[in-house]
Amino acid sequence: MLVRPGEKAKIKIKVNGIWYEREVEPRQLLVHFLRDELGLTGTKIGCDTSTCGACTVLLNGKSVKSCTVLTVQADGAEVTTIEGLDAKELKEAFKENFALQCGYCTPGMIVQAHYLLKEHQHLSEEEIREGIHGNICRCTGYQNIVKAIRQVAGGDGHVHG
Amino acid sequence: MYTGKPIKRLYDDKFVNGKSTYVDDIQISTYYAGFVRSPYAHALIKSIDVSDALKVQGIVAVFTAKDLEVKEGIGIWTTYEDPKLWKFVKRKPLADKKVRYAGEPVAIVIGTDKYSVRDAIDKVSVDYERLPATVKMEDSLEDKVIIHEELKTNVAFDRTYSAGNIENAFKNADKVIPVEITNNRLIPSPMEPRGIIARYEGGFLTVWYSTQVPHTARSEFSRIFGIPSSKIRVIMPDVGGAFGSKVNILPEDISVIASAIKLGRPVRWTATRSEEMLASEARHNTFKGEIAVNREGRLLGIRGDLLVDLGAYLTYTAPLQPAIIPLMIPGPYKVRDIHIRSRAVYTNTPPITMYRGASRPEATFIIERIMSIIADELKLDDVRVREVNMVRTDEMPYTNPFGLKYDSGDYLGLLREGLKALKYYQLKGWAEEERKKGRKIGVGMAFYLEISGFGPWEFGEVRVSETGDVLVITGGTPHGQGTETAIAQIVADTLQIDINRVKVVWGDTEIVAASMGTYGSRTASAAASAALVAAKEVLEKMKRTAAKILNVDVEEVAYSNGEFSAGGKKVSWDEVAASSYASNEPGIYAQVTLPGDVTFPYGVHVAVVEVDDYGIIKVKDYKAYDDIGVVINPALAEGQIHGGATQAVGQATLEEAIINDDGQLVVTYADYFIPTAVETPKFESHFVEKPHPSAYPTGAKGVGEAALIVGPAVIVRAIEDATGKRFNKTPVRPEDVI
Amino acid sequence: MYPPQLGYYRPVSLSDALDFLSNEDVKPLAGGQSLIPMLKFRILKPKFLLDLNPLKELNHISSGDDSVIIGATVTHASLVKSGIVRIDLPLLHQSAKKVGDMQVRNMGTIGGSLANADPSADYPAVVTAYNAKLRLQSSKGVREVEAKDFFKGPYTTELREDELLVEIVFPKLKGYNYKYAKIVRRAGDYALVGMAVLAKVDGVVKDIRIAYTGVSDKPFRPYEIEKSLLDTKPSENVIRDFAEKVASQVNPPSDSRGSSEYRRKVMKTLTVNTLKEVLGIVS
Repeated sequence: MLVRPGEKAKIKIKVNGIWYEREVEPRQLLVHFLRDELGLTGTKIGCDTSTCGACTVLLNGKSVKSCTVLTVQADGAEVTTIEGLDAKELKEAFKENFALQCGYCTPGMIVQAHYLLKEHQHLSEEEIREGIHGNICRCTGYQNIVKAIRQVAGGDGHVHG
Repeated sequence: MYTGKPIKRLYDDKFVNGKSTYVDDIQISTYYAGFVRSPYAHALIKSIDVSDALKVQGIVAVFTAKDLEVKEGIGIWTTYEDPKLWKFVKRKPLADKKVRYAGEPVAIVIGTDKYSVRDAIDKVSVDYERLPATVKMEDSLEDKVIIHEELKTNVAFDRTYSAGNIENAFKNADKVIPVEITNNRLIPSPMEPRGIIARYEGGFLTVWYSTQVPHTARSEFSRIFGIPSSKIRVIMPDVGGAFGSKVNILPEDISVIASAIKLGRPVRWTATRSEEMLASEARHNTFKGEIAVNREGRLLGIRGDLLVDLGAYLTYTAPLQPAIIPLMIPGPYKVRDIHIRSRAVYTNTPPITMYRGASRPEATFIIERIMSIIADELKLDDVRVREVNMVRTDEMPYTNPFGLKYDSGDYLGLLREGLKALKYYQLKGWAEEERKKGRKIGVGMAFYLEISGFGPWEFGEVRVSETGDVLVITGGTPHGQGTETAIAQIVADTLQIDINRVKVVWGDTEIVAASMGTYGSRTASAAASAALVAAKEVLEKMKRTAAKILNVDVEEVAYSNGEFSAGGKKVSWDEVAASSYASNEPGIYAQVTLPGDVTFPYGVHVAVVEVDDYGIIKVKDYKAYDDIGVVINPALAEGQIHGGATQAVGQATLEEAIINDDGQLVVTYADYFIPTAVETPKFESHFVEKPHPSAYPTGAKGVGEAALIVGPAVIVRAIEDATGKRFNKTPVRPEDVI
Repeated sequence: MYPPQLGYYRPVSLSDALDFLSNEDVKPLAGGQSLIPMLKFRILKPKFLLDLNPLKELNHISSGDDSVIIGATVTHASLVKSGIVRIDLPLLHQSAKKVGDMQVRNMGTIGGSLANADPSADYPAVVTAYNAKLRLQSSKGVREVEAKDFFKGPYTTELREDELLVEIVFPKLKGYNYKYAKIVRRAGDYALVGMAVLAKVDGVVKDIRIAYTGVSDKPFRPYEIEKSLLDTKPSENVIRDFAEKVASQVNPPSDSRGSSEYRRKVMKTLTVNTLKEVLGIVS
């Protein structure tokens, strides 16, 4: 595929279970595609240095910062955003444990927490904190977020369900 | 009974499901705006060439100062600030002839998509003639480089706060100790970068605005554009945090509105993070002076100079700090002889705004550092020094040297009780043992008395529908605190109904008749109280309707848990609600504008800190013990302690808005170190069992800012304990320690 | 926040990619975790991006008798997950876990990081300690460059405009002690100072390789001073002496994370602590 500067790339991308065919500029960030092209504004933009993680989505099952992925890189891939994330227990745990305040970091945090729980059988508090340090929260101080994730992981540190 | 319980937040579903709507999520068709910004701290604008920018595909317009007319510039927050005390210019939408800080907007680019706008920004050609810049506030004082020519000086504010007899105090001192105490520049950095959408149609202006103060913003826009408030609607969508920074009204906001009016099409702007870091910077002040003490540790007098950096322009909220800091420096202590000259000065740096605590963190850091300095100089215990100086219960209510009346509290009692509950002495002992083993572990404490619950009033409206459900319209503007849930608890308790029948709305000037907003830890006090009083009035109206139904005098009607009764007859809440809608005076509702005034929460916090071989400072534990009056929802209150303390960790050890000699902010979000889950301590939070309620009907005093007010002093003290070194500033950097 | 206008090429094979690379102003894109942030700040404005992700031949971890070959587009996360890397290249494994955060590791690649040559990145010090060989390929052929010759300066490598880093050859160092130590101001940050150590100890030090990041404009390895530790059974004093000597060899940068003098102090302390651990020296 050759796309000259000023031209658009034809891509196919599956988002939350639905295939989309679109033409995009190669320079377009995946997060802009999701928010502006598909109207999936659940994924947020919090910074411009790939630091904050508010834009975290799953790309072929792996958590990535969608502000640091070009849409063309996701051609043919499967993306799951917060709107399509099957994580009822985790979302309930966030609500029960007051793991959110302003809510802006929450979608990215839940996607990342979901991925973390998927990848690990056992999670100590330290491992949880290590696992979410790519997601910044300015409101909660993280303690309640860690509590919520531990709750889903199971009080014994084993990942359940 | 909901009050006092950790009731779950009412509206979390949308946040966890990605259905939240912050300003950038609002899907209406608009143009996009971006800004050309000055790279220089101080320069003349010789010319601006926008012709190449206009040629970029998708660009609709490029405006500069001459294109955007406003009736008046942005003023200051006159509710709390007195313009007569200040030398300032009202800020126009774009730089005209001169730029005064690196990052100042010089032109606004409007286009049909964000990427084209960004491309066009690169193509705007500005011819600058650089001028010498004054970047340090101490240099600015000398007025060698004047930033605002018409003011003829860089000193915007110069007021001396004097009480008692300072000469006497120093004459009678056993010791005079020089002090120099500094907070360095910070950036509030809410997770959501701010934004605005403006639509002007048929003489009516609608603004969606990431703000804490929609009604105040409306008044400002009215004054600035000459459009009557009745023809302006400001809508506050979900707001992703603010910490005081979103009371600030930016020239960028005004430029967007002016552009929307000029173009007759909606225009939106969402700040990038880099722009958000320029939009609101904070703190940056130094107190330099001396204290007079006697050998028992009693603070006899404080005198000195407070110097506050304003940045290049006076912002909407900057005037609070230099005026309030001196008033709160005495804190909960008996010192009455004080002489402080407070000056605020312009520098060629990004403008300063208020940030969580707005003057109380600055004041508390100063007085708590003074207490610790006294302890060190006289070789006394931190606790002893505070005990010696504290205002006693038999002196309450206590009028401080500057006329502030501390309403209620037992400072000594909480100090003792709190340190015991937080196991302060055990921790100090344990830390000392660990230090003998070679670890650099320290424990620190600090006490705060703060002023919150600002008036002059707040609005509350309660409506009962024909089905008996309740709508609460509050003048508070929660943006993460969860206080809408606390308000629902209060109303549900007052009306004795199921909280799930209560809906709380806020933030839209078309729906909320009046509002001051959420800031200054005033929602649980002022806003919830207005809703409480409105709920009481609504209940009275329900009783009158019930009386008619039961055919008795209203005095005979009793109410309990959904049932009105009199003389053996009963009628339910739902029946009364339905009946009221069928009568000649349909609807049951009450609106209250409740006057209120400040109240004084207080507490003691403790931190455990470890410093490693590389000077990296880790706050391991942070514990709080507070009297915040009546606690409506302990989980929400605790959340404020966790969040505030995390910002304190940031301020004390990580965050530094570094400005270079050329006046440029040289950190990005990648190296302005907001704490992650790895840097953040474990929290422990207690509220006293027998609080001292405020005069507000809810009895709450406020907790939103407490942990950032006292946290930095707590953590710095712990770092001193761990390292044996002395620090009177934030942040303490690793290189200060090893 | 918004990359500049650019073109994009998706190759069908490595040779196709290399042919395209001989055009002007082409920047290879692997994980994009260094490149995309630079595009967003418009520090770089290439005419074309060459997407390496379709090239399966660059995404492999191959174990041989005495070496492991890692393809350039292997992600940090894949390195962490790989049993071969964990067992045969434990120093690399340890450093891969410390790059950025989990999300960055899911996209970022070892080739991308090495080609970017950030003076505070982790892998440059690691490959230097390993004496790894980097294979650079153009449409004209392949050449092998030793790690010590690959890094030229900040963000500057031996790579020519028309060359791609295709794979890295690591020796299997059996029986070596190892440690990658990284000091950061905040989790996920670049190294204030990072130190990679490989040491073979058999009574005395048989072989020792030490490389630093964050203290210079490229990875720093004190080849000559290392030799002073060979055939010795070092004591704490020897280690302290060594630390003084190596620290005096560099002029660390000063930036928002710390001053030059502070980095030097950290380097000394990190050297002492890390070598004590790796060489089993008890105070």
